[in-house]
Amino acid sequence: MEIATLAPLLVVVLFGALALGLWVGFALIAVGMVAMFAAASAPPSLVFATKVWGSMTVWDLTALPMFIWMGEILVRSRLSSDMFSGLAPFTARLPGRLLHVNVMGCALFAAVSGSSAATTATIGRMSLPELKSRGYDERMAIGTLAGSGTFGFLIPPSIILIVYGAATEQSIARLFLAGVVPGFMLAALFGGYIMLWSLTHRDRTPPPEPPVDRSETLRAAARLLPVIGLIVAVIGSIYLGLASPTEAAVIGVAGALILAAATGALSRAGALDSLKAATITTCMIAFILAGASFLTVAMGYTGIPRELARLIGEMGLSPYALLAMLTVFFIVMGMFLDGISIVVLTVSIILPMVTAAGIDPIWFGIFLVLVVEMSQITPPVGFNLFVIQTITGRDIFWVARAALPFFGLLVLAVALLSLFPGLALWLPGTMLSR
Amino acid sequence: ASWDMPTPYGDSVFHTQNIQTFAEDVASATDGEVEITVHSAGSLFAHPEIKDSVRRGLAPIGEVLMSRLANEDPVFAIDSIPFLASSYEEAQALWEASRPVVEERLAEQGLTLLFAVPWPGQSLYTQAEVAQASDLEGASFRAYNAATERLAQLMGAVPTQIETGDIPTAFATGRVDAMITSPSTGVSSQAWDFTSHYTDTQAWLPKNMVIVNTQAFEGLPEEQRTAIMDAAAEAETRGWEMSREETESGIATLEENGMAINEPSEALSQEMAEIGETMTEEWLEEAGEAGQEIVDTYQGAE
Amino acid sequence: MRRFLDRLYDTALWLSAITFGLIAVLVLLQILGRLADRIARLMSLPPPGLTIPSLAEFGGFLFAGAVFLGLAGTLQAGGHVRVKLVTRSLPDGAARWLGVFVALAAAALAGFATWSSGLQMADSLRFGAVSYGVVPIPLAIPQGAMTLGLALMCVALLDAAATAARGGTPAHDAAEARTGGPD
Ligand code: NA
Ligand code: NA
Repeated sequence: MEIATLAPLLVVVLFGALALGLWVGFALIAVGMVAMFAAASAPPSLVFATKVWGSMTVWDLTALPMFIWMGEILVRSRLSSDMFSGLAPFTARLPGRLLHVNVMGCALFAAVSGSSAATTATIGRMSLPELKSRGYDERMAIGTLAGSGTFGFLIPPSIILIVYGAATEQSIARLFLAGVVPGFMLAALFGGYIMLWSLTHRDRTPPPEPPVDRSETLRAAARLLPVIGLIVAVIGSIYLGLASPTEAAVIGVAGALILAAATGALSRAGALDSLKAATITTCMIAFILAGASFLTVAMGYTGIPRELARLIGEMGLSPYALLAMLTVFFIVMGMFLDGISIVVLTVSIILPMVTAAGIDPIWFGIFLVLVVEMSQITPPVGFNLFVIQTITGRDIFWVARAALPFFGLLVLAVALLSLFPGLALWLPGTMLSR
Repeated sequence: ASWDMPTPYGDSVFHTQNIQTFAEDVASATDGEVEITVHSAGSLFAHPEIKDSVRRGLAPIGEVLMSRLANEDPVFAIDSIPFLASSYEEAQALWEASRPVVEERLAEQGLTLLFAVPWPGQSLYTQAEVAQASDLEGASFRAYNAATERLAQLMGAVPTQIETGDIPTAFATGRVDAMITSPSTGVSSQAWDFTSHYTDTQAWLPKNMVIVNTQAFEGLPEEQRTAIMDAAAEAETRGWEMSREETESGIATLEENGMAINEPSEALSQEMAEIGETMTEEWLEEAGEAGQEIVDTYQGAE
Repeated sequence: MRRFLDRLYDTALWLSAITFGLIAVLVLLQILGRLADRIARLMSLPPPGLTIPSLAEFGGFLFAGAVFLGLAGTLQAGGHVRVKLVTRSLPDGAARWLGVFVALAAAALAGFATWSSGLQMADSLRFGAVSYGVVPIPLAIPQGAMTLGLALMCVALLDAAATAARGGTPAHDAAEARTGGPD
């Protein structure tokens, strides 16, 4: 079948299946089946299991249930609500107050976790109920979380950068360093937006919490200590060489269990319940990942991503026009495929044209992460949306609308990165030059 | 025929470039009748899935690291015994001696071998000079399969499992102190960012092999099969040459970036030879008669 | 029958949870082994070098096994994500029959997945396929868990379709209603 007819057909099948209420993982499998029957030489019945098996037996994925489990323990032990009341006095003067916790919490957590879904699930599980009970605007709370959850990919460690580095033979150490400054920049952009929004929407901000004196501030700070200690232990275990970034997640689980037990805040039933909840969330995400991997291999057989990338290559664009075109291309692809699949499917076609245009491959890795981050919050296939739907019950399209301003900020970040390439290249250049 | 070909490594790796040329050669020799689309960097199937994908006919042709199949049959580990064949000449002789058995074992699985090309020799990357094996005493040594684990033990080091993407972090944080890999991988992972000393042991030259599903291959008319076999023979010759050049340019790049390049000392060479004998004997216990024949032929040719 | 099925989904979900717990325990042991090495080196003793062989590969198998075993229980708990914009706006009767249709369609896809996974397991048995790492694990074992989990998911979906067709409320619908949603 011609790509010009097949591509729209696949889009229709995906939207149709989702609109009928088919579960997302199954909808992806259904689209993959149509693509396989239309364009592949290999039988779907053999390809499905091979690819899904391969995509699920990945060591790095084991960090996902661990981080989610850690979040579930913290929620049940009230350590997370302690953290919020502890933070309240410190954010009292900032316009937007506790909304900043989403941004800062995600940025901090992203330094530990390589995945956006795990970042969103862990922070969201703790912050959204707290923000809701304190009367914060729901749309804004969800939007900031959806946006900030994408830090998981940009701030090292990052699964996307590992995949990109492996596929393009770029130094993963350099890529990780290159992501640091853009990560802070993005956090600053999000924080700035929250302040701007709350100054212009005073009616939708809850009344300030009662002012506190110095001793109460200290007491509040003390409540932060357990969770801060936990984060330090997780990050510390990586930097002391005791654990790999994947293994460090288990330090988080063990630490959370010890803290919860020490404060007597978690019963045995609660501990088991936290494991069960983490299991359900992990199975949900993993099943969608499985469907996405089948769709990815089907797309590989159809050649649609290659063909589109080749078309862009043939346009002979100037570097800025090329980047603008690629941004649009990745946004469209990102609506339907997950981030890692996009990188895997297109990078071998796109990287040569990018380097031919004189663009630095390390810089392009960071550009790629930013556009892939966008795909996490665009419907219908966006993992941060799925995670937040699970936490809040809000539909993915509703969540996507709440996240729209942050999508815009990601586009702005891409523009800034293109105008000032040094944002990505300065740090690896200074720290690793010999 | 239009063939999808999954390969594990990226486009900048010389193996992939050699395969691209092979695909072009096949297309032009068959007047475009056999068109091979290379899906590099595991973009269609990842490395662990490639062999079974070819075997089950999901992709008619693919590339795989031969020693990945070592757990299925020890014969596939022949090119990964440390210090058995540690130069291109020796690797070539060992390949000639082992090729018939490898082809036979693949044929039993319905696979036909087209060609095999070695990586540059596996050498030591460390953060301090290694003059003898005892310098690695108690150090964490990266192991990624049974052979590298045994090698680490015999050198007195502690075998440590580190995933590829985790290597820079592992060195930077002290979870690992030494690894053994080719100059190509050293350059592509920019090993100078996290190690300082390269010891040119060339311990073994592991090969990538290109295999084709026998049924799919025999479905082609004879002149196309001949064209593919001719292109494969050329690809093998070209690949070995590329590999030699890669060794030289890789070591030069490591040096340019400030790494100390050391030849193994007398003492280290002696110790390595002993380790090689031990590991060859251990391998022979597993590989049995077929293995003994390969080693005899190889050592007779030397 | 009802109680038997519910207990089956629940048991599989707990098996899945225990497997995730097992991964945590193994990783913790690995980290403790490394800590022991570190301490031994500080005291100038030979490091014991206690590691769990092929943990990365083994952990990947455990993860995959856990995920597939947990699929049916996750469905029952309303854990799998879907879009309900359209179905929510339908009249009750139409929504129910659409629910039956969607559950049947999903069951068909799950059946396909089970079949595909079963074929893979059979091939692995026939080829005697083993894993690549230090400990050769027959691939048919974890692939068997995958097949089993997918089959159970298929059963759960057929179960849901039958319940809805008979006018009942399938477990996943009840759970989705419980966990809230926009109000
Ligand atoms: Na991260
Ligand atoms: Na998306």
